[in-house]
Amino acid sequence: MMRCRRATRWMVTALDGELPARRRRALDGHVARCPACRHEMATTAAVLQGVGGLATSSEVPGRLEQATFRRVRLLAAAEAERAATRAWWMRLRLPALGFATAVVATVAVGLMRGSGDRPLAPRPGDGGRRVVAQAPTKDKPPLVASRERGGPQATATVPAEPPPELAAAPELFMDLPLLRNMEKLEHFETIRTTTLDDGEEQSNG
Amino acid sequence: MKRLGIVALLTAVLAAPVVRAQQPRPWHQLSPDEQRRAWENYRRYQQLPEHKQRSLEERYQRFQAMPPQDRDRLRQNYETYRGFDPGQRQEFGQKYRRWKSGQH
Repeated sequence: MMRCRRATRWMVTALDGELPARRRRALDGHVARCPACRHEMATTAAVLQGVGGLATSSEVPGRLEQATFRRVRLLAAAEAERAATRAWWMRLRLPALGFATAVVATVAVGLMRGSGDRPLAPRPGDGGRRVVAQAPTKDKPPLVASRERGGPQATATVPAEPPPELAAAPELFMDLPLLRNMEKLEHFETIRTTTLDDGEEQSNG
Repeated sequence: MKRLGIVALLTAVLAAPVVRAQQPRPWHQLSPDEQRRAWENYRRYQQLPEHKQRSLEERYQRFQAMPPQDRDRLRQNYETYRGFDPGQRQEFGQKYRRWKSGQH
């Protein structure tokens, strides 16, 4: 009787078509009986199919490449110009913006205190300024947490700095679909010319 | 002496692409498209079991150690394989299993 641990170990090899027939039958029998392994096998198959379907290279027409670079240069120049003009009025506006934020925060805290649902229980000696100072820090942890949740694993965009494993051997990951099928590709012609009739293992290559 | 210099220069120029082809490129030398592909594959790789990850690393080492023409042949075969329709792929899979069983 096969156990789930062994079944899991054999799954990828089986999906690659590299598991010997007897083991494959044992695995199929287990998967048919075990819903958890069935789910695991389906998930693994989906992952492997996703990897296999990726291209190892793609052609970009020269004209498109040039147009893209030109557009990037124009956008960068426009952004630099905008940053230069923004600098002087930002200096004037920042204090006003800070003042406005303080006023809004004070009003918001005042409204919360006045609503009576959840009073902030002012202690003797507590001034309005102290409460105002506490309000933004209450909101900080969820913001930080959501940023952590939206880390590299959760986004599809390429990070500016790759994880060390990826940085160490980027071409390993670029060639992953090829590496997965390496044995098939090394003996490609021999396998292609292998005959399937009459149960004999023959090859012309 | 001058002739020797020319020979040395020619050797360096002719050998340079070969040496460059054998050197793995660092991340910052990949094009944005290559970086995106590597990143997507990396995320998939992370989901594979540990023994499979090790096996892929070993294959990568072997692939890197191959002469450039062998690597080109593999890439060419992969492109052909990718171009198979589902029926051709299934047939190739059957042939592969048949061939594999004959290896043991």
